[in-house]
Amino acid sequence: MPCHCNTGRLEPSSIEDISKPSEQLAHVCLEDLPKLPPPYDDFNDLPPYKPLTESAREDYEATLDDTMTVGLPKAKSPEEEKEAVDKFLTGLQKLFSKEDNWTFLQPLMLSMEHCAKCQSCVDDCPVYESSGYNEIYRPTYRSEVLRRLYFKYIKPGNKWYKKFQQGDIELNYTLLVRLCELSYRCTLCRRCAQSCPVGVDNGLISREIRKIFSQELGWTQKDLHERGTLQQMTVGSSTGMNTLVVKDNIDFIDEDMTDRTGIEVKTPWDVEGADVLLIENAGEFLAWPENHGCIGLLLDAAGISWTMSSDIVGYDGVNYGLFYDDMQLARVATRHFEIAKKLKVKKIVMGECGHESKALAPISDRIGLDLTPRESIYTLMRDIVFSGKIKFDPTKNDFPVTLHDPCNLVRSMGIVEPQREILRYLTPKFREMTPHGVRNYCCGGGSGFAIQTPFNFNDWRNQISSRKKFEQILNAFKDEGHDPDQPKYVCAPCSNCKGAIRDLFDYYGAKAKSGYYYGGLSEIIVNAMVDAKEPILDWEMM
Amino acid sequence: MPMFEAGDISVEVDEDGFIQDPDLWNEQLANALALTEGVETMGDEHWKLVKYLRDYYLQFGIAPMVRKLCKETGLPLKRVYELFPSGPAKGACKVAGLPKPTGCV
Repeated sequence: MPCHCNTGRLEPSSIEDISKPSEQLAHVCLEDLPKLPPPYDDFNDLPPYKPLTESAREDYEATLDDTMTVGLPKAKSPEEEKEAVDKFLTGLQKLFSKEDNWTFLQPLMLSMEHCAKCQSCVDDCPVYESSGYNEIYRPTYRSEVLRRLYFKYIKPGNKWYKKFQQGDIELNYTLLVRLCELSYRCTLCRRCAQSCPVGVDNGLISREIRKIFSQELGWTQKDLHERGTLQQMTVGSSTGMNTLVVKDNIDFIDEDMTDRTGIEVKTPWDVEGADVLLIENAGEFLAWPENHGCIGLLLDAAGISWTMSSDIVGYDGVNYGLFYDDMQLARVATRHFEIAKKLKVKKIVMGECGHESKALAPISDRIGLDLTPRESIYTLMRDIVFSGKIKFDPTKNDFPVTLHDPCNLVRSMGIVEPQREILRYLTPKFREMTPHGVRNYCCGGGSGFAIQTPFNFNDWRNQISSRKKFEQILNAFKDEGHDPDQPKYVCAPCSNCKGAIRDLFDYYGAKAKSGYYYGGLSEIIVNAMVDAKEPILDWEMM
Repeated sequence: MPMFEAGDISVEVDEDGFIQDPDLWNEQLANALALTEGVETMGDEHWKLVKYLRDYYLQFGIAPMVRKLCKETGLPLKRVYELFPSGPAKGACKVAGLPKPTGCV
């Protein structure tokens, strides 16, 4: 399947190129992409990368690369373009003021001022590597654009000296539309920040660029904003489930789980004074209902007093504001803590969701709300598994298992061992990916990419941002062959990562071709319970 | 806003190709949308899924859980993927004229 282009590889030759109008700043030829391990190494067998349609190119600002996810409609007049530039400058000033950037000013300043341009970070970026090292995706490319804007417009000093020292940049509309899209080509996995000798955080820079566009210009990604946080604050959940629907669905899950395991599962609602308020990503209830069912079953089996909340936002741990907007971030987090206070619970337990955990724990600490203690479900499940209250038969999990490390929980929060202790005990054929733990690779769906599918963005994600993960999974199961009737399980304890891995397996046909399945952690635990009547991992339904 | 056009059909769709106004849905439109999802002919099982999705949507305002969909229609997930290669959310929901499923689903 050779590339559809007739341009050949295209990439900017300098930072200044981002402001120079051209049809497209970068293009990745399919031939440039690193080869996947066999049997996915034959270029001709791989799925196509659909080009953007002509009508999309006519209606939208499609001048960055081969895809769009924000999808900005074309400006109608030069006045509109000028207005956007003015707003951006206001946003830039706010981004570097203490009063307006009350969340991330300190690490952002550090990242602006102290980059030594050593490029230690670039080899750690899976997007850059998987694109065949296209300059546009180099993690320092977009950072350098913001850095030059910072030195030109914000930092005091002699303008000629600054220009000489930092390099120049022209702020125009072309730059804005490209920079906005480009801030959504980074999964915010922060692998680069980890490799930086001075802690410069290019992931944070991408996120802060998105923030200017969202907070000052109203340029947002629809799945995160309109269908995401806005819908969550009005209807109750980013999934569109109101209280009635979520209760109906949870009833169904409880019944289904009880039928299959022979163990009574009943989710408690709005119990005042419970020890634990369980807040999960509500996407689980619709797409991976066993995950909630198994968590409920385990909490009961361990004799923990727990509850869920049926208040608006209380039953959905999603907080997409983390990815693009401080106001939305704080609004959702505030609701979560208000509900915990109202129910007088001892702690909030966050489900198998990376960004929820990060938003509710370290980031809420930074926002400084009136905080209820919080715990990750990973540590709680570890404690339950090793409490001696439940009998396990690990041979029930007699299939190859590997573990995906969700970036937010593992690299950003440092929860590395509990999930491994569980798997080493309950899955006899467990093996690690290389590398793993805090050195893991992102699933490719980070920062909400997993749910973004406008235009051909799905193809971009599966070909580029998820590519490294697929390579890792193939290598982890290298010795197991590709018999589709022998299931191989990727344990991915995060809603967003599961979405990305599902799409990845669908895209490459990995279930039919190699017997690759994926799911969470709680399912693996319940699957090994001696008292559970039927296996909870039902390959037919996965 | 992008348009979906096929024969004498012309309806507004979002950037993912989901129709914007679910009230405009009819069987002729479903047939045309199915073609964009790699479904050449809508058979009985396709219609069973699509009709279940529509009825559920009209009652609850969102798409049903995947497991509920399988249980109520009696079609295992594997079969759903055979019928709609892009899956229940992106494929079947689109053909049934539902809005794009939202959140981490």
